[in-house]
Amino acid sequence: MDHDEAVRQNATERYLLDELDPELRDQFEEHLFDCQDCALDLRAGAMFVEQTKVILAEPPAVSESRVPVTEAAKPGWFAWLRPAFAVPVLALLLAVIGYQSFVTYPSLVATANQPQVGSWASVNVSTRGTTAISMKVRKGEGFGVLVNLPPEDGFASYTADLYNPAGKKEWSRQIATASHEETRQIYIQGHNLESGTYALVVNGITPGGESKELSRHPIDVQIQN
Amino acid sequence: MQLQSFDESYVERLQAGDFRTQEHFVAYFSELIQLKLRSRLHSPQAIEDVRQETFTRVFAALRGGKIRQPERLGAFVNSMCNNVLLEHYRASSRDSSLDDEEQQDFPATNVDVLGAVAAKQMGEKIREILEEMPERDRRLLREIFLEERDKDEVCKDFGVDREYLRVLLYRAKQSFKSLYLKNVAARPPGAVAVEKR
Repeated sequence: MDHDEAVRQNATERYLLDELDPELRDQFEEHLFDCQDCALDLRAGAMFVEQTKVILAEPPAVSESRVPVTEAAKPGWFAWLRPAFAVPVLALLLAVIGYQSFVTYPSLVATANQPQVGSWASVNVSTRGTTAISMKVRKGEGFGVLVNLPPEDGFASYTADLYNPAGKKEWSRQIATASHEETRQIYIQGHNLESGTYALVVNGITPGGESKELSRHPIDVQIQN
Repeated sequence: MQLQSFDESYVERLQAGDFRTQEHFVAYFSELIQLKLRSRLHSPQAIEDVRQETFTRVFAALRGGKIRQPERLGAFVNSMCNNVLLEHYRASSRDSSLDDEEQQDFPATNVDVLGAVAAKQMGEKIREILEEMPERDRRLLREIFLEERDKDEVCKDFGVDREYLRVLLYRAKQSFKSLYLKNVAARPPGAVAVEKR
């Protein structure tokens, strides 16, 4: 297993989740012991998992507050009817609260509790994106793209350009680089997306400011109703 | 620990007994060996025995000039660990270890190479990452890692697939990784901090 393969297969996550079969696990470990990038990646992931276990094992904080109880003043028999318009206003308020409690809020809670699994794709700049990525999204929904950048190739920074199905550039974004981080996330907004083949072009920017196209990744977007 | 190239110069320093290089070498590969062994051996003592034996043999090979490919030093350590592990499984490793040679003790496995302050900082960062997650993702991680439930069952209960789980872990790890790398890079080579456990 080489480095690209390890990244492509999400080997670190699969290793931490114990999902690799014995043969792949051995191959990943052999690579891991020789690859400082993957070793750091695994160590970071392992530390995250260990700390997560500690934190999630903690009991939830219970806040105690002491609310002073004051004795309410005793109103007169008809005090609650004054002023006269209070009763119809209260009745209206009750109706609104009732509607929100029994109709609006349960609907919002049900929607919020739906599994929110965002679509995403992974592109590897080194492979130059010869195969089109298929992305099915609902209208207005966007998707994420994980861009695997080539390590240490001399570029000061990168840009990602999105071209729509008509071939027109929709936007251009700068991708900042940081040492040891080869994967960047780009989110493609859904509000203007239409069905068709988009192209995500990754360019490398030299220290002199020159732009060089590194890869072009066709993305076949299908808007579902 | 700072990143160092495992090259000819590094191997020469190891062979010459350079203390800092040896300390870095043991610290770096100890962590990987522990990660490798924890899924295979359940006893901390067994893990420690295999770790110690691995380093004993690797240093013996270094002294004997048997490292022919310095750039593959890591693979050599992994291979040696596999051999020791096999022998452990066959319950015969102790007889074939180098009893005639002076046993060298390698730093204990529960030494935290990152330091108490850095560890606290990273713990806080992880807490922040978890708090920013939706509740169901936190519950998902809890059931997978803390309660160690079967992953397929958990995914079925939560209505997600294994890919979702991988992406969740990937994103969380990436959020944490930049701070982790900053702390690792900030430690002087071979520096070993206070005991964490």
